[in-house]
Amino acid sequence: MFGKTKAKAVTFIAAMTLMAGAGAQEQLKIGGIGPLSGGGTAWGLALQRGVQMAIDKVNAEGGLKVGDKTYTPSLVMYDDKYTSAGGRLAADRLVNAENVKFIIGPIGSPSVLAAVGVTTPAKVVVLSNGFSNAILKNDAKAPYNFRALVSTVEFGPPMVKWFREHYPDVKKVALVAPNDAVGQSVVPQLETYYKANGFEVWTELYDRGTKEFTPLMTRMMAQGVDALDLNSNAPGEAALLLKQARQTGFKKPIWQIGGPSVDEIMEIGGPLAEGFVSLNVFDFSEPVAQDFLKTYRAKYGDGVLNAQTPVWYNAAATLFEAMRRAGSTDVTAVRDALEKLDGYETELFGPMHWGGTADYGVAHQMLLKFWMVQVKDGKQASLGALMPEQR
Amino acid sequence: MFSLPVLSQVLINGLSLGAIYILVALGFTLLFGIMRVVNFAHGAFAMLGGYALYYLYGVYKVPYPVAILGGALLVATVSLALERLVFRWFYHKMFQSMIALMGLNMALVYTCVMIWDVSERSLPAAAEGILDLGGVLLPADRLVIMGIAIVVLAAFWLFVTHTRHGLAMRAAALDVEIAASQGVNTGFIYKLAFFIAIFMTALAGGLYAQTYALSPFMGERPLMVAFIVVILGGMGSVSGAALGGLLLGFAESFLSTFYGASVSAFVSFGVVIALLVFRPWGLLGKPE
Repeated sequence: MFGKTKAKAVTFIAAMTLMAGAGAQEQLKIGGIGPLSGGGTAWGLALQRGVQMAIDKVNAEGGLKVGDKTYTPSLVMYDDKYTSAGGRLAADRLVNAENVKFIIGPIGSPSVLAAVGVTTPAKVVVLSNGFSNAILKNDAKAPYNFRALVSTVEFGPPMVKWFREHYPDVKKVALVAPNDAVGQSVVPQLETYYKANGFEVWTELYDRGTKEFTPLMTRMMAQGVDALDLNSNAPGEAALLLKQARQTGFKKPIWQIGGPSVDEIMEIGGPLAEGFVSLNVFDFSEPVAQDFLKTYRAKYGDGVLNAQTPVWYNAAATLFEAMRRAGSTDVTAVRDALEKLDGYETELFGPMHWGGTADYGVAHQMLLKFWMVQVKDGKQASLGALMPEQR
Repeated sequence: MFSLPVLSQVLINGLSLGAIYILVALGFTLLFGIMRVVNFAHGAFAMLGGYALYYLYGVYKVPYPVAILGGALLVATVSLALERLVFRWFYHKMFQSMIALMGLNMALVYTCVMIWDVSERSLPAAAEGILDLGGVLLPADRLVIMGIAIVVLAAFWLFVTHTRHGLAMRAAALDVEIAASQGVNTGFIYKLAFFIAIFMTALAGGLYAQTYALSPFMGERPLMVAFIVVILGGMGSVSGAALGGLLLGFAESFLSTFYGASVSAFVSFGVVIALLVFRPWGLLGKPE
């Protein structure tokens, strides 16, 4: 009788010790910033879900083992409404109220530039996405911020080369873009790449929000262009440009060195989108993507799966790997370990590299392979993967 | 550049654009002309027309003529509740109506965001294909819009000029008190005018969503277009809306084709500013 009681007591003490041990796992807050309302919601959800999936995976494996400690990461997500003010406010709250030391996001140059104004002085590591060069090219030399997605500077040159090889008859390319900070920075960059590959370029800028492009398409066709590049247009505008170009009788190739907005273009353009060529940041048909897809569907259902989701999953997973290698969650140690991850074999994208020294003066640009895709029979078909140049 | 095929295409593009702009502006100018209400919720009603057509034609596959008319009728009928709850308090209160209806616009737009999210949707076209008129191309769906614009304008003109209710509406627009003293049921006439205005706006919204894309925020552009068109033509003037729509359509087509989008926007708005300075009542409006 006594023996049984003693055994129970020992079991109880052992269980309590184990629970105490489990309780000793430290919490690790990972900040997330992205648009969860307004026009960029799909991208914000992709970030939130991608990072959450990486966290779930680590926690399912018993936590994040860093040095002799085990952490339980959790996501603290803020909505920046895809605005500069929202980005700054979110960064401020994460840094000063939540004491977060690692942030994934924001998305979009205005929000990123506002957020790094808070995170850089506070020495907080940020993995973001925005096309502005100033995100990495600045006086501070972007000491703690990294870009997790490729921008025009990275995917532009290999794509223009690809088009040169696959469309040898195209001589003159039209670049039609919004007349704002995005269009004004992207169009001159692309113009340089096209001219370096022997293309002639015709450019036209329009007011953001325009829906009617038929006069502009008539103007474009009168210039004798051989291809239309939808470049930095937002998905909705890119789709209308394609639809109205085809309705105005433009039968030559239409492609986009930008986006990606293939899904939206197929949705709005319908059969007129046939033959459209663009990039996509992930190919869900690859064998390596199937487990990811299964986990996503189990957690988030059958809704639209944005191609940025695996990219943000990858950003969080890479950050965790840097912590493991640093053996510490000290920000500077993790930053240094991140910088040394060049060549690291990622789960979904194969080897990743750091680039950007030639373009921004700091090698904080993550280089991941991306895919050339074409609309064939109303579906997206992969034409193969390209890798950005490491410069 | 100034070749015959390009000029012909510019003409066709201008006509097609003008048709869309006229349809978008008609309901806006009617509400102002009769009730002196500046309807800042105009874009939201257009957007609701888009969703009505999306469900009837795109989802439930109702035949197109029934869907386009039925959708607009549905929106106009449901909106009568808003006439009773909101609009009626602001008749003949121009400035108060602007603020109140801006609020109504936001309430409607964000209700739709909660229901349908922000994604842009596409509506199937009423007619596929592109007509080739001797080298000048005209998409079949634009031809449908031009046809509907002509029918709506003609029907509305006949209603206003050849029916007793139309006559009563014109009387109420001129002087509501004298019209009432002559036996016109102004309460009913206001409701009727509201119903027709929202019907035309929802119809235009359906066509607009079909031509471009449908989302809760799609009404911003139609509202701006309606403003420009009615300022050009004259606030409250139906014939002015027709003239303004055509002028804006042709100007945009001609200037965008030959001089680029920026010049087109610059000149269009420049003309509107000049008109507001030298002839604030518009081309066919009447000075207050």
